[in-house]
Amino acid sequence: MSLLLSLVAQILHVALMLAAAPLAAGGADWLEARFSGRSGASILLPWRDLVRLSRKTVAETDAGSPVLRFAPAAALGATIAAAALVPSFSRSMALSPLADILVIVSLLTVARVAMVLAALDAGAATPGLAAQQSSALAVPAEAALIIAVFAIALMAGGLNLDLAMGQMRDGGLGPAAASAVVLAALLALAVADDGFALSGLEQAETGNGVAVARLTGWLRRLVWIDLIGALFLPFGFATAGAGPLEWSIGLACWGLKLAVFIPCLCAARLTAGRVAARRATELAAFAIMLAVIAAAMVLTSARMA
Amino acid sequence: MAVSALTLLLLTLDMVTLLVVGTMAVVLPAAAGLFLTAGLSAFGALLCLPPLLLQSSAGLIIPAGPPGLHLHLALGPMPAFFLLLILLGGAAIAAFQATARTRAAPKTAVCLSGTILSLLAADGVTLLLGSALMCGAVFPDWNRRRGLAVLLVPLLLFGAVCLLTPAGFAPRFDAIRAAPVGVDRASIAAVMSTAAIAGLICLRPQRGNHALAAGAVLPAGIAILIRLTADLSGQTVQAWWGVVLLAAGGGIAVLQAWRAAADAGIDDAVGNLVRRQAGLMMMGAGLALIAHAADLVQAQSVALQATMMLAVDSVLAGTVATLAAEAMAASAGTVRLSRLGGLIHTMPWTSAALAAGLIALSALPPGLGFAALWLLFQALLSAPRTAALPDQVPLALAALAIALSAAAATSAAVRIAGIAVLGRPRTPAGAGAPELARSARTILSALAALAVIAGLFPGPVIRALAAPAVRGLSGSSAGIRGGLTMLSTSAASPGYAALSVAALLAFATGCVILVLRWRRREGKAGSVWFGGMKPPVNLPFGEPMAQSAGAGFLPGLPDLPGPPRLLHRRHYRGFPRLSPGTIPAAAALWLVFAAFAILLLAVSVTGAGA
Repeated sequence: MSLLLSLVAQILHVALMLAAAPLAAGGADWLEARFSGRSGASILLPWRDLVRLSRKTVAETDAGSPVLRFAPAAALGATIAAAALVPSFSRSMALSPLADILVIVSLLTVARVAMVLAALDAGAATPGLAAQQSSALAVPAEAALIIAVFAIALMAGGLNLDLAMGQMRDGGLGPAAASAVVLAALLALAVADDGFALSGLEQAETGNGVAVARLTGWLRRLVWIDLIGALFLPFGFATAGAGPLEWSIGLACWGLKLAVFIPCLCAARLTAGRVAARRATELAAFAIMLAVIAAAMVLTSARMA
Repeated sequence: MAVSALTLLLLTLDMVTLLVVGTMAVVLPAAAGLFLTAGLSAFGALLCLPPLLLQSSAGLIIPAGPPGLHLHLALGPMPAFFLLLILLGGAAIAAFQATARTRAAPKTAVCLSGTILSLLAADGVTLLLGSALMCGAVFPDWNRRRGLAVLLVPLLLFGAVCLLTPAGFAPRFDAIRAAPVGVDRASIAAVMSTAAIAGLICLRPQRGNHALAAGAVLPAGIAILIRLTADLSGQTVQAWWGVVLLAAGGGIAVLQAWRAAADAGIDDAVGNLVRRQAGLMMMGAGLALIAHAADLVQAQSVALQATMMLAVDSVLAGTVATLAAEAMAASAGTVRLSRLGGLIHTMPWTSAALAAGLIALSALPPGLGFAALWLLFQALLSAPRTAALPDQVPLALAALAIALSAAAATSAAVRIAGIAVLGRPRTPAGAGAPELARSARTILSALAALAVIAGLFPGPVIRALAAPAVRGLSGSSAGIRGGLTMLSTSAASPGYAALSVAALLAFATGCVILVLRWRRREGKAGSVWFGGMKPPVNLPFGEPMAQSAGAGFLPGLPDLPGPPRLLHRRHYRGFPRLSPGTIPAAAALWLVFAAFAILLLAVSVTGAGA
């Protein structure tokens, strides 16, 4: 029974993530418009866009290889796989044993790589430039992410996400200063990733491909939010085997976290303005420094994980 | 014991025959010499299985050489592990060269012969001869003075063995084990060994020899390094030797990954990715030394297993990627990435093999490279924690080096595949590049399949192949655990399940493809790739320069102010003075970050943040 419930919770989690990603994007755009004094579009606009794009006729060319055709699907598949491993409303789901933090961030890298390869396969100038820019930004950003994961693993005693969440619930990922520095690094990376990881890569696609690329970007943002929330606010999660009543409380807590995090992200974007490509690289380099400092702080602290 | 002695005798004969084939290659038909080399290598690889399975050792003395310095050979689990890999890779390389009809027989046979001799060596003279043969066949460019620097490698290794030898004895390994020298001499020997192997990794092989470097020379170099530092100096190991190895390996890993993402030639770019793996192997060996100095057997075993997994990766993925890259360059008539492109259409099998190799060389799940990276992080996590800043900062910097190298390697792999394999052909020769012959394709496919299988089952592969060698070095059967699919280092944490992650990835991607097929509408022919315009009449492939040429895949480095040029008389204008305009704003920002970093480190040292 418990296995069945954890499987149902897993399927429900993936479905909710897929449904909520466009809504979260719509909500962020609406909030950004409201903060700027404009009325803003409906938060359902991303969903309408997806439906509209999926109805468009696809332009096909002889120049493209199967990579161009299937890479967006692989990118969305990798992002869905990452999303399946990051808990939203419930922990101890069916795939929790696979939820290694390094695997999760690497699956996001797989998604980005797939989109970059599709952009290069198009053989045109602008997607190629976007691919170069995305790869160049990814070098410091992914390095910072890996070191941040290492620092978290040092604090938690392992790379498993459930283990880190349990450690955080039991007494916090210590030392507290290192935990705060890792959080700052992850927030800086989330802002840099949100702006540039997949920016411009959808130019190589048409119709369905554009819809898939956009959904991938929105889902990626939600995975970031859930990952940071799971690591640093591991409260309000239901247990997968507990049943629908506890799940509904977990769902309410997840909604509350999204309602807090998305306005904060919008406010940060509006306050700092649109991040230029070079500034995004510097932001990622700053995150590297923070993550290394956090790792050194944990290593030199007397407390063992 | 008797089986091992017979195996060692046969391996010695195999090595001598390879040397004869190498020296007689001028009079032999090229294909015959290479097929003979492939057969002898495959036979040698089979011979390595009994010592691995039986976990036995044997020794042999060849009555040749100066008086009192006969050649001593020994075969144990660690040389057997590395020889199995190297001879398997060597057989594939020779067979591929035979089918591609190149005249590389002397180099391949001599290099493999030297590799066998240096790995079986049980004294300094044999090690000198073996390493000289190995390096001399692959590296030196006799027309350039810098190319001759490779000959320093055997000399440094011989010097290290002599330093480890107790006074009054011949430089034999059994004498070194029986009467270890003092820490000072052992430390100098460790630094010399590290310098020799770091130099070996950094040297760029001659064009066409990248596969031999990836499949034979670099893993053999790491095996020799482990032999000289962890095995022969086992009783006097100091933690700072490990720090030296971490620094050298980390520097190599970052530098080579960075070069791979910027090199103009496809063969050099792939070769640099392989050298990055060797840098990571040095880091693994360094972590094993640090753990050994602290008597942490589990941590030492994990670090050694990570090193050996990287060796498997280098031999399988490195060999297939370098062979495929060289085949592409030969077929398209250029090694320059900016003149390749669209080879997936004309060379699909070779492209697939290159892609499999690149995935395994980068840090993407479920590739073997990711499993090795995961295990290397486990070794870092289980390294000794002493709360002393000088002991712990190297570990944090090692994590930084591994992370930077992994990110740059992924960017390099994307660049190589995206520019050379995907897109449109940039030259008529590239558009008509012929696919390899069926036999050569089969060899590449087999190597690629082995790399993929090893990536999906990293735990069983490394337990089956490397466990006896690790047990021999660390004296314990601890290390990685888990079942058929799980790679784990502790009972408290589930670990990394490569097959499950691959299945999840495939399932999610398959579902997306099914949904897209369900929603798919009839497509129309379009040319969005040219911005809606037709290509120029005189450029039937479109404007080649419109595509990305492989530049710009790395971030720009910060504009830090350089040191004042005091030594150049030409620039000397009295005591240097900094005017406000000499420090750019970005540098000022970096200085602020550095000050912040120092402040936080000070907080961590004083314990205020705990």
